[in-house]
Amino acid sequence: MEPIIQIENVHKHFGEVHALRGVSLDVYMGEVVVIIGPSGSGKSTLLRCINRLEEYDDGSIVVDSILLDSAQDINTVRQEIGMVFQSFNLFDHLTVMGNLVLAQRVVRKRSNDEAQKVAFDLLGKVGIPDKANAYPIQLSGGQQQRVAIARALAMHPKIMLFDEPTSALDPEMIKEVLDVMLALANDGMTMVVVSHEMGFARAAAKRIILMDEGQIVEEATPDKLFTSSSNKRTQQFLSKVLQQ
Amino acid sequence: MGKQSEPSRARSKLTHLPVIGSIARMDPWWWLVVIVVGLIIVLVTARADPFWDILLFVRDGIIVTVVITVTAFLLVLIVGMFGGLGRLSQKPIIYGLSSLYVEVVRGIPLLVQLIWWYFAFPTVIQQIGRWLNFAALANYQANAIVTAIVGLVVCYGAYMSEIYRAGIQSIPKGQTEASRSLGMTRFQSMRHVILPQAIRVILPPVGNEFIALLKDSSLVSVVAVADLTRRGREFMATHFNPIEVWTLIALLYLVMTLFSARMVTRVEKKTHYER
Repeated sequence: MEPIIQIENVHKHFGEVHALRGVSLDVYMGEVVVIIGPSGSGKSTLLRCINRLEEYDDGSIVVDSILLDSAQDINTVRQEIGMVFQSFNLFDHLTVMGNLVLAQRVVRKRSNDEAQKVAFDLLGKVGIPDKANAYPIQLSGGQQQRVAIARALAMHPKIMLFDEPTSALDPEMIKEVLDVMLALANDGMTMVVVSHEMGFARAAAKRIILMDEGQIVEEATPDKLFTSSSNKRTQQFLSKVLQQ
Repeated sequence: MGKQSEPSRARSKLTHLPVIGSIARMDPWWWLVVIVVGLIIVLVTARADPFWDILLFVRDGIIVTVVITVTAFLLVLIVGMFGGLGRLSQKPIIYGLSSLYVEVVRGIPLLVQLIWWYFAFPTVIQQIGRWLNFAALANYQANAIVTAIVGLVVCYGAYMSEIYRAGIQSIPKGQTEASRSLGMTRFQSMRHVILPQAIRVILPPVGNEFIALLKDSSLVSVVAVADLTRRGREFMATHFNPIEVWTLIALLYLVMTLFSARMVTRVEKKTHYER
């Protein structure tokens, strides 16, 4: 089977900073890949290259058999890639329902009734069916992030990207978001997750990627990575993270 | 908006009498509007000569001032939006042209611009027409009101561009990223996500621009437009009573600006995020 995301020797510079130094990674349909690593290791940059929020300088990324740098219409590719951000980025001027319906209508061209039906189903799935008419500022962080997940899912994407989805949340709200993500993983969604939540990584990830200084240091199953990694850098990072 | 009426309803219950309740709830600055209107009415009725005569004489000037201000303002909103978007464009030509427009226009006094549009611009057009041997251009005659509106729009459009630019830039980058990641085009993202939020941010400065434009519209009186100010000058020229004329004209402008300021505050309150 052909991987749905093929990242091939990708390089990215931010001015003087060489953020990605030849990263290669394949993700298959239905796989959950969790990317971990210290801050500044390039994991978020890599994730943002997958839907071309960042453009890479060298190498190639193929998503759903479309090469990103030559893609005529990046918006068609992006319809198939949902993204969830650290800071939620809900549209503050719209209700929860408005947030979920907008892109379905203007991008997927669904009717209002159809879009609302999809939205209601998803709000039920993420556990806040009663918040459809609330505005984002009336919600807790955990609720906002669940709305953001539902907003991305409403487009019925093939892939979901998560960029540190729980880093901006209070500890007691992290679990409600991770539960939604875990349920999504169990449903067979293809997910690439940048996260420091080792519990989630252990429970949901098929593979864990450890990045450092713009490169992939190690790639292994959770079991192998947590128990018997022989890589020095991995051991160093894990000991720091697991201490917390 | 539905929620906002709840506390006010609670307060009117306290005052029992609905009329007194609604007056008590009124923004106190409305009183100033009432007082100035009252003062005009007193002057006009108690001393009909000359105040009633002046009011009758400048009546059409009030209409001209309002029409010019409102027309120019609506056009300024459109020009400003394009100017603001141009200032944010990644295309160097569009960015360069809109920046040039803003910088040049902001550096020239409005009065000089209005005079240029009225006296110099038609001559430029006529000479181009003669040079091209094109009669319609060679015989071009400026319409005073249209020219005045053009002058105001060009000038205020530049200031409005900067207000739009700042408003759009104040919306966090994450809003664009979220909308683009959902597959929206740059235009859809601007239209459905960024501009609706930016408009709430820019509403107060835009309201101020309207009031400033209303006042600056008096400058068009020097380019043959019979607005309120010019009508006042005409009346004074035949009756030689500057105190009465200019006091009444000042009060008439004051009513219009105070009233506009109240309207701006109302609109601002209405468009605030619901909590």
